Parts: sequence; C-alpha cells; structure tokens
Amino acid sequence: MTFAVTVGGRSVECSEDQALLDACLRAGVWMPNSCNQGTCGTCKLHVVSGEVDHGSSPAETLSDDERGSGMALACQARPLGDVELRQQGTSAARTAHPLRDMVATVREVSGIARDTRRILLGLNEPLTFDAGQYVELVVPGSGERRQYSLANTADEDKVLELHVKLVPGGVATHGWLFDGLAEGDEVDISGPLGDFHLPPESEDDGGPMVLIGGGTGLAPLVGIVRTALRRHPEREVVLYHGVRGEEELYDGDRLTELAGQYPNFRSVPVLSHEPAEGYREGFPTDAFVEDVATARGWTGWLCGPPAMVEAGVKAFKRRRMAPRNIHREKFTPADA
Amino acid sequence: MTTTERPDLSWLDEVTMADLERNPYATYERLRAEAPLAYVPVLGSYVASTEEICREIATSPDFEAVITPAGGRTFGHPAVIGVNGDVHADLRTMIEPALQPAEVDRWIDDLVRPIARRYLEQFEADGQAELVAQFCEPVSVRSLGDLLGLQDVESDKLREWFAKLNRSFTNAAMTEDGEFANPEGFVEGDEAKAEIRSIVDPLIDKWIDHPDDSAISHWLHDGMPPGRTRDREYIYPTIYVYLLGAMQEPGHGMASTLVGLFSRPEQLEEVVDDPALVPRAVAEGVRWTSPIWSATARISTKPVTVAGVDLPEGTPVMMSYGSANHDTGRYDAPTTYDLHRPPLPHLAFGAGNHACAGIYFANHTMRIALEELFEAIPNLERDTREGVEFWGWGFRGPTSLHVTWEV
Ligand SMILES: Cc1cc2nc3c(=O)[nH]c(=O)nc-3n(C[C@H](O)[C@H](O)[C@H](O)COP(=O)(O)OP(=O)(O)OC[C@H]3O[C@@H](n4cnc5c(N)ncnc54)[C@H](O)[C@@H]3O)c2cc1C
Ligand code: HEM
Ligand code: FES
Repeated sequence: MTFAVTVGGRSVECSEDQALLDACLRAGVWMPNSCNQGTCGTCKLHVVSGEVDHGSSPAETLSDDERGSGMALACQARPLGDVELRQQGTSAARTAHPLRDMVATVREVSGIARDTRRILLGLNEPLTFDAGQYVELVVPGSGERRQYSLANTADEDKVLELHVKLVPGGVATHGWLFDGLAEGDEVDISGPLGDFHLPPESEDDGGPMVLIGGGTGLAPLVGIVRTALRRHPEREVVLYHGVRGEEELYDGDRLTELAGQYPNFRSVPVLSHEPAEGYREGFPTDAFVEDVATARGWTGWLCGPPAMVEAGVKAFKRRRMAPRNIHREKFTPADA
Repeated sequence: MTTTERPDLSWLDEVTMADLERNPYATYERLRAEAPLAYVPVLGSYVASTEEICREIATSPDFEAVITPAGGRTFGHPAVIGVNGDVHADLRTMIEPALQPAEVDRWIDDLVRPIARRYLEQFEADGQAELVAQFCEPVSVRSLGDLLGLQDVESDKLREWFAKLNRSFTNAAMTEDGEFANPEGFVEGDEAKAEIRSIVDPLIDKWIDHPDDSAISHWLHDGMPPGRTRDREYIYPTIYVYLLGAMQEPGHGMASTLVGLFSRPEQLEEVVDDPALVPRAVAEGVRWTSPIWSATARISTKPVTVAGVDLPEGTPVMMSYGSANHDTGRYDAPTTYDLHRPPLPHLAFGAGNHACAGIYFANHTMRIALEELFEAIPNLERDTREGVEFWGWGFRGPTSLHVTWEV
C-alpha cells in the first residue's frame, strides 16, 4: 500500500512501511534530519492532516503532549493514509484574501505615456486584496491569461487600476488591450494573487523603505507606497521609477503631490537610454547605490522586468539590506 | 586490488600522522577501495572507512564504545564517549535534559542570536574579517559556555582550551610496541586541564551549595538524593568532552559550510536570499567536511567478522565518519560541496547509542549564527588574496577564512 505525503506543496509517494523522511529524501524533497534513529529531534514536524504510526519514536524525543498536538518524527513515523505535513518554523500560511473569478467592466482606457495605458476596471462587488497584489485577465478568444498588478490601495476596492505596457506582437497587449479594448467591454478576471504586499499593519514598524519600479513596474508600488505612508506618515521612503526615456514617465504629478503631503517621501525618475535635461541618467538600481550609503534595517521593493529585479537584489545586498526584507515582483513573460 | 585474498596494504606503513592531519582524504579513499576495515599501523588500530562498515559497527550489538588511547590519556575515565552500560546510561541521563529538542527550542534563539549579533557588531563595519577566529569559534564557544555556566570564562580562553585538548586528544601516533610515539604531545593538554580545574573547581564548589540553572550545576545535582551531588572526578572527563568537541565543532561546522558555499557562489547567493535553506546548507557542510572526522571508536565484545575480516573479542575499531561521508558508494562526487545533492542522511553526528547528544543544539546554533551573518553582511565574499587551509584528522575544519564585503 502506498500513500501520498504532501509537504510544502510537493507530494511524494510513501509506502505503509516506509518512514516519512525516507520517502521525502528519496524523492529529493529535503527535510532537516540528522540521526535517523529517533534520538535527535531534528526531523520533528507537524502532521496537518491524516494519521501516522509513530513507530519506535522515543518518548524523550517526542513527548505524549507533542504527539497529542500533532507532532511526529519524520524519520520514525509511517503513514496510515494520505498525510499532509508542515515543517517546523515555516509559519502557518497567513489567512489569504479569497481568490475570486469576476466579470469586470472597462470604465476607462487612457494613454498615459509612450506605449503605456491606464485601464480602469469596475467591479460589481468590492474585492478584498492587499495593495501590491495582482489580478489575472483572460484574453478574449484565446483563453490566454495575463497578470497585471493593481495600483490601488486596499480601500479602492470597486474600481481596479492597471498600468499596461505595450509588448509588440503581444497577444494581450498588442492584440487586445492596445487594440480592440473599449469602455463598456466586459473582461473576465481572477484575483487577488501574489505575495508582493506590505506586512499586516500590526507588524509594520514604519521602517525606511526603498521601492524601484521599471516601466509599468510602478503600478503596485503606487498602491504600496500610499498604504505605507498612510500607516506611518513620517517614514522615510524613496521610490525610483526607471524608464528608457522621458516620454515613458507617467504619474509624476501624483508622486509629486505625495511628496508634498509626506515630508520624508521622495520620488526619483531615472532615464536609462534617452537622457533629458533635469533627469537622472542610468539604471534606477545604480541610482539607489549612488544615493544610499547603507540600507541596513530598510525594506526593499522591486517590480518590473526580471533583469531589473535581479539587479535590484544585488544592489540592495551591496548596501547590506537583509535579504529577507527584499520583496520582488517579476513581470515574467507568459512564455518564459 | 590484486586477486590474492588479502589486499597488499604495505603502503599504509608509510602513512604518517602529519599526512593525515594535512589531508586524510587520499589515504581513506584508498582504504575504502581496498580495505574498508583495515589495520592502520600509525594509529595502532583498525579503522572503518566506508559508510556501510561505520554504520554497521556503530549500531552492532557485538560492539560497544571505547575511547581511543590518546583520547583516554587526555580525558581520563569515565568520559561519556568511552563508557558503556549503567555508567553510560547515567552520563547520558545527566547531559540529555538540557539538550532535548523541546528544551532547546525554549531558549536557543534567545541564547545564540544576541551572541552572534554581538560578535558581528565588532567587525561588520570593517569590510573584512577572518571569520573562523572572529565569528565561528567565538559564537560556538560563547553559546555553549553560557549554557554550561562558564559565563565568566572569556571566549578566547575557551578557544585556547579546545585547541589544546584537540591536539592532545588526536596525538594518536603509536610505535610498533604500542607506546605513544609523541608523549610530549600530551603536555599542552595537561596544562589546559590544570587551568580548567583551577577555574571550574571553585565554580563546582559554588554550585554544590548554590545550585543554579547552568548545565554543570544540573549535572551535579540532577537525580541525586537530597544533599548529595555527583562526584566531580566522575563528571570531569565528560566536562572535557564538552570543552573539546562540543565547544569546537559547531564552529568547524559553520566555517566548513561557508567554505563550501564560497566554492559554489550561486548556491551561496541562494542561501543568502532564502534563509530557510541554511539548515540544508549546514547539513551538506558537515557532510562535506565532517567536524568530528575520526575521533571515536568501538570495541568488539566477542569474536566477529566484519567486511570479511575476522576480529577477535576486544578489538578496537576507529570510526572514520569524515571518510564515510565521502563514500562514492553513497554520494556522487563526494568531494564537491553541493547544496542540491540528493539529501541522503550522513554520518557526521555518528550512529548508534553513542551518537552525538548535541545534534539538535549544534544544528540550531550553526543555523542561527549563519542566519545572522547573512542578514548582517549579505554581500559577503571570500577574500581570494588569502587561501583556505583545512587541518585535522580527528577533528577537521578550516584554520582560517578571510572574507571581504563592501561597506
Ligand atoms: C505577476 C505579474 C504581474 C504583472 N504585472 C504587469 C503590469 O502591471 N503591467 C504590465 O504591463 N505587465 C505586467 N505583467 C506582464 C504581463 O502579464 C504580460 O506578460 C505582458 O503584458 C505581455 O503579455 P502579451 O500577451 O502582450 O505578450 P506575449 O504574447 O505573452 O508575448 C509576446 C512576445 O514578447 C515577449 N515579451 C513579453 N513581455 C516582454 C517584455 N516585457 N519585454 C520584452 N519581451 C517581452 C514574449 O516572450 C513573447 O515572445 C505582469 C506579469 C506578472 C508575472
Ligand atoms: C557540528 C557540531 C557537532 C558534530 C559534527 C558532532 C559530532 C559528534 C560525533 C561524530 C560524535 C561521536 C558519535 C559516535 O561515536 O558515533 C559525537 C559525540 C558526542 N557529542 Fe557531538 N557533535 C557536535 C556538537 C556537539 C555539541 C554542541 C554537543 C553538546 C552540547 C555535543 C555532545 C556530544 C556528546 C555528549 C557525545 C558523546 C555521546 C556518547 O558517546 O554517548 N556534540 N558528536
Ligand atoms: S532525524 Fe533525529 S529524530 Fe529523526
């Protein structure tokens, strides 16, 4: 008899007389382990669902209390049916906003910069989400799905704001969002998705933040930065918007207004390919390295093309930001 | 191998302690291929070198523990690593409460994290450091020192003690007559022990009358009738076990893990970016360069045949866990550090009823220290102007590790 053992989203087969650890390791799913004889406790984990036989797990390593509360030693326990496991330390999944399928109505389509559109989608019912998350749009006729980040704050829950960049020949952009799409159209969408968002307010200490957006990678940052400043109006925040040339910049007024409202917020446009009077030149990640001597204790937010996000991770680490404080959203093409 | 029954092992006559200490791998690779259980003249002992034979002997009912001659000369009797039956059971009962996972979980973070931060603060603005002496060893000894009740003993003193005890414990060379080849090699260990006693004796005096929550205080009192304590002569050999291996090895494990990661920059980056990978990096680190490379032994309790070799009752065999963890029968390219290799269990913590008692504590100490290091200095690079040398046969790790980073 074999059963399915699920851990960290991966499922492996485990026979009834096989230790959970053995099954996982053989399938290449790593779990902490050391003694493999039930004495060290390194392999202790939570059985989230299903039953296990603890085998010869010693009471010194796995107490009755621990058994009662659903703990097991992976090197000793055998499955009595399908089981789901959770490794210690990895915190229980946060309660997530439920994912929903919706039909939205196009409220507005406007060109806001070169090859860049703002699209507003009206909802019949409000959507609960965290600023920075994204939704998926179904491309009519093709069945293809494409992701677009929300520029909204969580209370702007009835009209979703998307920023979309034209990809030449692109199914969603070239063929639809920049072509046929018109006010009043209905669009199938699902959301919210993704983990690119601030921690819950109770865990947000108001520490300094740097955000770097490449092109329409600005979209989620517009939602995040407004949320962050509302929570802690005095916090130090710098936002870099990197584009190729001045004509691709947008929402400058919106950001300037924000800077007027919040004294410690700064926004810095950076042009990579078409220099223009009065603008920083180069890549936004390099501008950050030039401007900030140390980012210890900061959180970092990177969104845009994958190469820019990678460069941002390197730049942040160079300025000694703790990697666990680096948040990233890559606009990875669907066929990558 | 030739077609004769017994391989010709005369090449082993040429092997010296200095060879083994500089690099034991070539010798043991040949042993694994030619004679996984072999008599090694310079050690004056049989040696088990493969994963299978080490595991078989360490868990066999026909063997029990014995301390190596140089180890016994250094620690005295009864050290937990060299005793059996009731005495072993009593010593394990004495040390285990503080090392139980549920117990360790209670305080390990509060113990180790501030210590790691404190050492990092001393050099994180410098842009360069020698991590063995400035971080790995100090975090290792301070964490265990505070747990034991040795708060007042400086970290540098604890480091000096383990280094001296190490060289004495592994002064293993024997003459053909079965005498120690370098008796003067034990002198520094004796000096260290004298100093340890001069510092720990008064603490024991204090703990006898005023027990506190330190581990050694518990060793004296736990399980004893009211008004009685364990005799200090009975616990000193096990105190020395701690002051050598338990103090030294988490530092070795951290440093080896770092050297391994530096050999795979893309894997270092993965681990820095995702601290959840640190435990796996450490597990591979101690597989790759096992801190307790060959320091413990077993002895046959009746005539047995192992790996085709007949051993009379009372034959000691040294466990070469560092060699077992490079067994090509079990690992592809074992000399390569690889975070992503199929994660088979290794023997870095030994096996059987004498397996390491400090696995959980050690793994978490190493984990927390490396988490803090990568958090404080995510842009760590090896200083390639300096080489990295490993030393040791009984206990092994990098002797230094120079790093730089942009500040
Ligand atoms: C989580 C997430 C959030 C996203 N949020 C946004 C957003 O807020 N705004 C936004 O504009 N986009 C966003 N994207 C990207 C978006 O989902 C689409 O991939 C993009 O709009 C292209 O879709 P398409 O159908 O037009 O092109 P496709 O038909 O998918 O691509 C056509 C060709 O162009 C290539 N290609 C696709 N994108 C690029 C590019 N950027 N540069 C160069 N070549 C490319 C493809 O590899 C393919 O060969 C996001 C992506 C992800 C994963
Ligand atoms: C990475 C660090 C460490 C490694 C790699 C390690 C490894 C080992 C090994 C290989 C043995 C011999 C096992 C055998 O003979 O089969 C051992 C024994 C032992 N270790 Fe560890 N050890 C480490 C740290 C510690 C720590 C921190 C402690 C205590 C706090 C500790 C306590 C012990 C004890 C008490 C024994 C003797 C067990 C016995 O003989 O019953 N070790 N260790
Ligand atoms: S690995 Fe040691 S208890 Fe399971």
